[in-house]
Amino acid sequence: MVRWAMVIDLDKCTGCQACTIACKVENNVPHGSLEEQQKQREIYWNKVIAVTHGKYPHIQTLLIPMPCMHCDQPPCVTVCPVKATYRREDGIVMQDFRKCIGCKYCMVACPYEARSFNNKEQETKPYHRQDLPPDREVRGKWPFPRRTHGVVEKCTFCFHRIDQGLKEGKKIGTEVVPACVEHCPSHARSFGDLDDPKSEVRHLLSSRIWFRLREELNTQSKVYYLGK
Amino acid sequence: MKLIYTPVEFQSRNYYLVLAILALLSVVGFICFVISYTQGHGGFGISNRIPWGMAIIITIYLIGLSAGSLILSSLTYVFGREEYRLISRIAVFLAIILIFGAMVGISLDLGRPEKMWRLFMFFVLNNMRSMFALNGILYGGYFIISFFYLGSIFANHPKWTKKIGILAMIWASLVHMGTGAIFGFIEARSIFYSPIKPFEFVVAAMVSGLALLIIVVIAAFHFANRRYWKAPFFSLGKLLLGLTITLVVLVGIDKLTHLYSPHRGPTLWLLSGPFAWLFWGFQVGCGYFLPILLLSQPRIRKNIRGLMIASSLILIGIFFERFNLVIPGTAYPMPFYPGKIEGIWGREGTFPITAIELLMGLGIFSMMGMFFILGLKYLELLPLLEGGKENTAQASGAR
Repeated sequence: MVRWAMVIDLDKCTGCQACTIACKVENNVPHGSLEEQQKQREIYWNKVIAVTHGKYPHIQTLLIPMPCMHCDQPPCVTVCPVKATYRREDGIVMQDFRKCIGCKYCMVACPYEARSFNNKEQETKPYHRQDLPPDREVRGKWPFPRRTHGVVEKCTFCFHRIDQGLKEGKKIGTEVVPACVEHCPSHARSFGDLDDPKSEVRHLLSSRIWFRLREELNTQSKVYYLGK
Repeated sequence: MKLIYTPVEFQSRNYYLVLAILALLSVVGFICFVISYTQGHGGFGISNRIPWGMAIIITIYLIGLSAGSLILSSLTYVFGREEYRLISRIAVFLAIILIFGAMVGISLDLGRPEKMWRLFMFFVLNNMRSMFALNGILYGGYFIISFFYLGSIFANHPKWTKKIGILAMIWASLVHMGTGAIFGFIEARSIFYSPIKPFEFVVAAMVSGLALLIIVVIAAFHFANRRYWKAPFFSLGKLLLGLTITLVVLVGIDKLTHLYSPHRGPTLWLLSGPFAWLFWGFQVGCGYFLPILLLSQPRIRKNIRGLMIASSLILIGIFFERFNLVIPGTAYPMPFYPGKIEGIWGREGTFPITAIELLMGLGIFSMMGMFFILGLKYLELLPLLEGGKENTAQASGAR
């Protein structure tokens, strides 16, 4: 059985936000205006937070990129009344836009604020049609015919890439990785199978000290962080 | 001592004027809903930090009022307290209207209201581990039970009324406990997460339901120009006092236990942050302190005006209790990692009150008000005291 996981080396992360942009481009996530960002209404599938300790000049800043944690015990799946969000067998927590009724209960329950509500109307301008799925011949198509407003969205670990890669017999984790992993300039992120003892993620986890966010909630998240 | 229920003969022009205004406001609310739907909730004050807004606040407020008034109708129909028969029929009718308003409220909050049917595909398409789906069963059943309850009351069938009444009372408590559990089971949000929430909700429901009943029934008698006994209302005032004190105890336990780690940060922020004036001023001051102060004075409690004022204060206070749960409960930034989170991810959420949301809320209340006054005119809801006939005849003659 495969369990996809991501390891993020915080020592290598420079906070350049390339992952955020790569995610937006890959998944056709709409850009928000400045006003939307101020109102915390912009859709982010991947975000980078900065955590500071101490006061200037004795200050330490930790940059933490946060995709969806794809928990093994996901609170969002427990609370979704209509099975619109579910955990795939390979551990990816998915959101089905066709089933989602937009009740936003999952956004309230998610301890990582990984979820955003899409309130954008479909646009007709050719630039950034957020209603279109990321229809890429190379990567494989989305299972959803089109994106829609009034539903909740989140990171999918670029499942369309993984599914297509598996179909073509490529090695996931080296040849095929999610967009944020591919575009990280400092190679801070790695992706792979947690149940495969030879995978890079297992190697990193066994050789370095790691932590996960909000462990006290016992969500069993599958995004691991290597400390500074 | 026998009560005869008759429809109220509203004939004045004012009645139709009020009806027209309420209908107009309902239409305005509906138009606002259409606008909000086409804008994908763009006109609401909600954000990714505060996903639930005014529609959810109004919904849980209405569910509380509905469950509370249905529970209180059991005073007569289950426990046989004849002196409260004055309010019981209206209580059941009001409960049906209020739960209908609440269901409208939920559908206004959904991003995709046309898919609401998915909420009611129990065990087939639903995830029955979700409190929301379980509540779907409770709300659906509640609707059906209260209709049968009202039917058996109208049919004057005391045996059946008692049986359905017991079921309705238990079911109504479950309904509001379930609503409380929607919030109480969310571990990620400190202000929500509490095992006491369902019980707090039931007591809050009874307090607000009783306050609404007192106001509505007295107002109905007043506008229908009918005589009524004042004594039952004075003893209901005593019950209101007791329930409000119980609510204060439960809320106090909830907040005090939350002052300890790991919920200390958000709770302190609620009690002293930007929402503190709503908490201390409206919830505690207006909802608990003043009504308890007023109702504990026998002079004020045994005075219809004093009772009305205390009940109105409670209704406002309980509304803000709901507000202070939903908005600050989600506004506090998540502690992703120990330390100070910079930028928008560490900033507390803000909730601007927008015109669309307010008009939509007003639309729900107007719609319910419209149904209620129509009910008074066409259904046998308001009792006529025996010997009071001449009185009404005189009153209508005077009109």
